[in-house]
Order: sequence, then C-alpha cells, then structure tokens
Amino acid sequence: MLVEVKELRREYVMGETVVKALRGVSLNVEKGEFLAIMGPSGSGKSTLMHLLGCLDRPSGGTYSLDGTPVEKLDDVELSRLRNRKVGFVFQAFNLIMQLTVVENVEVPLIYMGIERAQRRELCLEMLKAVGLGHRPNHRPNELSGGENQRVAIARALVTKPQIIFADEPTGNLDTKTGHEIMEILQGLNAKGTTVVLVTHEMNKAKWARRLIHMQDGKILRQLVGKEIQQLKDLFQEMPEA
Amino acid sequence: MQFSENLRIGIKSILVHKLRSFLTTLGVIFGVAAVISMLSIGEGAKREAVEQIKLLGTNNIRVNQLKLTGEQAEEAEQKNSRGLTYRDGQLIRENLPSVKGVTPVRFVETEIMLGNKESNGRVVGTDETYQWVTNFHPSEGRFIGALDVAEAKRVCVIGSEIRSELFGYRNPVGRRIRIGDTWFVVIGVMEAKTVKEGKASVIKLRNINKDVYIPITTALKRYTDEDRPNAVEEIAIQVEKEDQVVPTSEVVKRLLNRTHNGVNDYEIIIPAELLAQSQKTQRVFNIVMGSIAAISLLVGGIGIMNIMLASVTERTKEIGTRRALGATERDILGQFLNETIMISVTGGTIGIILGVVMAKAINLFAGWETVISLFSVVISFGISALVGIVFGIYPARQAAKMDPIAALRFE
Repeated sequence: MLVEVKELRREYVMGETVVKALRGVSLNVEKGEFLAIMGPSGSGKSTLMHLLGCLDRPSGGTYSLDGTPVEKLDDVELSRLRNRKVGFVFQAFNLIMQLTVVENVEVPLIYMGIERAQRRELCLEMLKAVGLGHRPNHRPNELSGGENQRVAIARALVTKPQIIFADEPTGNLDTKTGHEIMEILQGLNAKGTTVVLVTHEMNKAKWARRLIHMQDGKILRQLVGKEIQQLKDLFQEMPEA
Repeated sequence: MQFSENLRIGIKSILVHKLRSFLTTLGVIFGVAAVISMLSIGEGAKREAVEQIKLLGTNNIRVNQLKLTGEQAEEAEQKNSRGLTYRDGQLIRENLPSVKGVTPVRFVETEIMLGNKESNGRVVGTDETYQWVTNFHPSEGRFIGALDVAEAKRVCVIGSEIRSELFGYRNPVGRRIRIGDTWFVVIGVMEAKTVKEGKASVIKLRNINKDVYIPITTALKRYTDEDRPNAVEEIAIQVEKEDQVVPTSEVVKRLLNRTHNGVNDYEIIIPAELLAQSQKTQRVFNIVMGSIAAISLLVGGIGIMNIMLASVTERTKEIGTRRALGATERDILGQFLNETIMISVTGGTIGIILGVVMAKAINLFAGWETVISLFSVVISFGISALVGIVFGIYPARQAAKMDPIAALRFE
C-alpha cells in the first residue's frame, strides 16, 4: 500500500476559533492508482492533499507514505520525503520566473543533491518526454499556459516520484490544452505512476478510476469505475467552488 | 544543498534586479569606502608623526634653550642663570654615566660661501656624538671627530642639499668653504634624509639637509656670543633603552634646575612622549572618524535588510514552490542569507577599491599623507561580510519560517 491514512484530522487555530478542516479521514491508495478528490470549497480536499503531499503535518491520526510514518517526521525528513517520493503539479504552474525552463525542472534535483551535468541530462530527457525538448532555454513567460504546465509536469516527474499530486492542473487552461494535460497525466498513470487529482470539475474527475467525494472535512462517498462516468446527475447539487 | 548551488541561485536573483541590487550595494560601497579612507588618513597621520619623531630619536631627550621675554630675561639675570651652556652638557655627561651620548648643538647665524656662491644653509656647532645620537651619518668622507673638537679645528661636514647647491656634481671633500670670516675644510657630506613638513607635524623640524656641521668648540671660539659666551641652543641626550627616557629626563631636570638657579629658561622635550601624545590624539580622531564611517555602513546594512524583506515578500510564491519541491528550512535560509552576504561582500570589495582611490585622491588634492594598511582592508571586508550576516539573518529567517502552504497560496 502506497498511502495509508487512518482517522486523519487537521485543525487550525484562527484567533479564538478552531477550524476543523479535516475531521477524521481514512483512506488507502495503492500503487498505480488514478484517484480524484472532489468537493466544494472548504470541504477539506486541499488540506487532505497538503497532508498527503507531506507539506503539512496532521493534528491527529496516522499517515504512512510508502511505509514511512509521516506524522513523526521533522522538517528536514519531511522535506526529503517530499523531494524523493512526491511530485506536485499546481493550478498556477508555480514556475520560478527568473529561471529558464530547464533550470526550473532542475530545482528538485538540486535539493536532491544531484550533480549539475547529470541534472541537466535528466531534465532535458524529461522535457523531451513532455514535448518541450526544443525549448529548454526559454523563460516561462515566453511559453503558453499549456507549455508551462508541461514544464511543471516535467519538474514533478524528474525525481521519479512514487506519487503525483495535481491540484486543479487544468484550472488555468483552455479546454483543449486542459485535455492535453489530462492525457499526459493519464499516460503517466498507464506507465505506473500513482496520480492524485484534486479538482472540482466533473469532466476532469472522470479521467480517474476512483473518486473521493469530500464534504465538511470528511469523505462523503467513494465511487469506482463506471459509477464515476454516471456522475453528471449525481453532482448537480454540488456547488461549484 | 551545496554551497555552489546557493551561490548560483544568489547570483541569478541578484542579476534579475540589476538596478535594485546595485542601489542596495551602494550603501555598503560608500560605508566601506568611508571606513577605508578614514583609516588611511589616520594611519597616514600616525606614520608621519612616527617618522618625524623617529628623526628626533625615540631614545632621546632634547633640552632646548627657550627664547625669553623681557620679564623672564630679567629674572634670569637676577638669579644669575646664563641659559643652556656647553657646560650643562658636560655636567650631564659627568653626572649621568648611564646615558649613551650627550650632544650639544649650537646654531651660528652667518653666511656660507664658496667663491661667489652663497648658500642659505645653517651652521651647526656640535661634537662627534651627534651622528650617533641623531642617527644621521655621513655618506661621503667622515663626520667631526673627537680630535677635531678637542683642538677646535676648522673642518666642516655639509648636508646633501648644501653640497648640490655649492658643488653640484663635484666632489666637495677636501675643498674649502668660507663660513663667516673663517675658511673651513670640507671633510664629509651627510646622507640625504627625507624631512616631511606634513600637515600632521608634531614638532617643527628644520631641514637638516641644509646643515653645515662644525666642531662645537670652534663654533664657541670663533663665533662667540658676547652675552652668553658658552651658550648652546640644544642638548640632545641619548639613553640606552626607551624606558630610561623618563627617569633620565627627571634627573636632567633636577640637575639643570640647580645649575640654572631655578630659572626655567630651557625646555625638556621627550620625543617618545610626544609620540604617545600624538598617538592618543590620533586615536580619538580615529574613533570619531571610524564611528562616522561605521554609521554609514550601518545605514547601508539597514538598506540591505529593507530590500531583502521586500524581496522575501515578493518571492513568497517561489519560497512555497521550493519548499514543495523539497527545500528544507535551512535551504531557504541559506539561499537568502547567501544573497545578502553576496550583496554586501560585493559592495565591500567595490568599497575597498573606491576607498583606496579616495585615499589617493585625498593625498593628491589635500596633501595629507594616507596609508592603506592591510588591517583596514581586512577589517572592512570582514565588517561588510558581517553586515550581510547580521542584516540578512532576519529576512532569511522570515523566508525560512514561512508556512509552505500559505506561501503556495500567496498571490
């Protein structure tokens, strides 16, 4: 089992009130899965993703990623785990503007301690894989949104992570480009990479093989396979985030 | 993460905002340049004072005849004091066998002639000890000897400038010059000495390159002052070690007080004390100037901190992204601290260059002696690096302590 989550809770103290963002979530993710997390704003889907992505530590419950108990790690260990086992794809791409495309892809390898020459080689290879092998020295602002997201995907993949978290990866893209990005993610999944997609778009969630519907910090229901395809009607009552 | 990686990241982000980085660096540049040039002025003044006083000799005591006012002259006459005399020198020598040398000096106001050529040099009557006590030796021929003094011979040793004035490139040794009404044989030429009449003069020095030395006995005999037949203007006393200077001067004072019947018609100058005094003054000057320079460096540092804080806020999203991609808090701290140190060290290096240029310019235009010491360069560089660390640590910590999730959400 890649991800094992038991009774995960996350509370924030905001002034005098305690916000319960996650109220006990239990979830298992197997290697090679394509999982979608859906839910309205404030449902806790982002909090869950941040916890699963080792960006945050839970207030309660347990989480083990690839056998490592995450809740017990300190900053350095957590960062290392994030660096080696997790890849992120963000809605706003989050590329560093002053770096070139290839330099952006290199960032996680720098923190991994890979030598410069080897790093460059790995990154160029990865850029080729996402169809950007010809533009390594451009800056992010010289590329289109879809191209930027491909760079971000290359960056997420270059460390050969166990699991990719994609947080609304098509949110800033047009339909056609969004579709292309989803195809890339699906292709990755087909090759064995575990993909967790956080989205509130029905048509994107349909790419997944398992869907988790969250509400009020809890898992409301889980749908598998054909159930997801029939979702259109079921989710009509769900407000758009 | 490796240091070289941090360096590369730092250079990149500094170069992205070239103007901003330059303006930030400017504070440190001027601060360091101020420190360097101020210290160079201080060091220059110090060296000048040391050189001047060394010319007098730090192991020396000088007793000078004072010019008396009417009232003082009356008192001197009443108490039967004849001022500083050759006899005083002999008394000191007899009573203080521990001193290395006692040299009387008498100035004779008269003209120096070679044929029709006249020199505006100064005739100095002294004895054989002069060259040792003042550490001033002949470069050609010899100095006045004990026999010359004992027999009051008509021989002279001329200064290097007198030599070129009167003889040009010819050899003066063995030739005769006229001093007043008397002919003297030149027996030696003194070495040339640099006498700086700098701004930081502690004592007015005469140009000893224009001296003509004759035996003291000859000076007293042939150029007699009717009022004060045995008078000398100065007695230079040399002791073995520097720590003997003060006790010896005390003894000399008591001795002269007795022979002068309590009349203060002389002064005792201790070059070593003058040196200490001038260094004390210099230290105050250095502290004041150094503080002003340090304040400008401080302002520079605050400027850096300000910009770095702005930069941290501006790059919140980058920080969040780097954290998500595996950067530890230490990595982020290192990244920003490194950037600040780079800015301040670059500023420091440019500042050192500018400071050296400024010091040269001060020397050129104001005529002040300036000396760039290795110490001032090292300290300026060290301070600029320290400024980087001190003023960089807070912004860097702000960056490192940022919550990655909040940073990622930052727009």
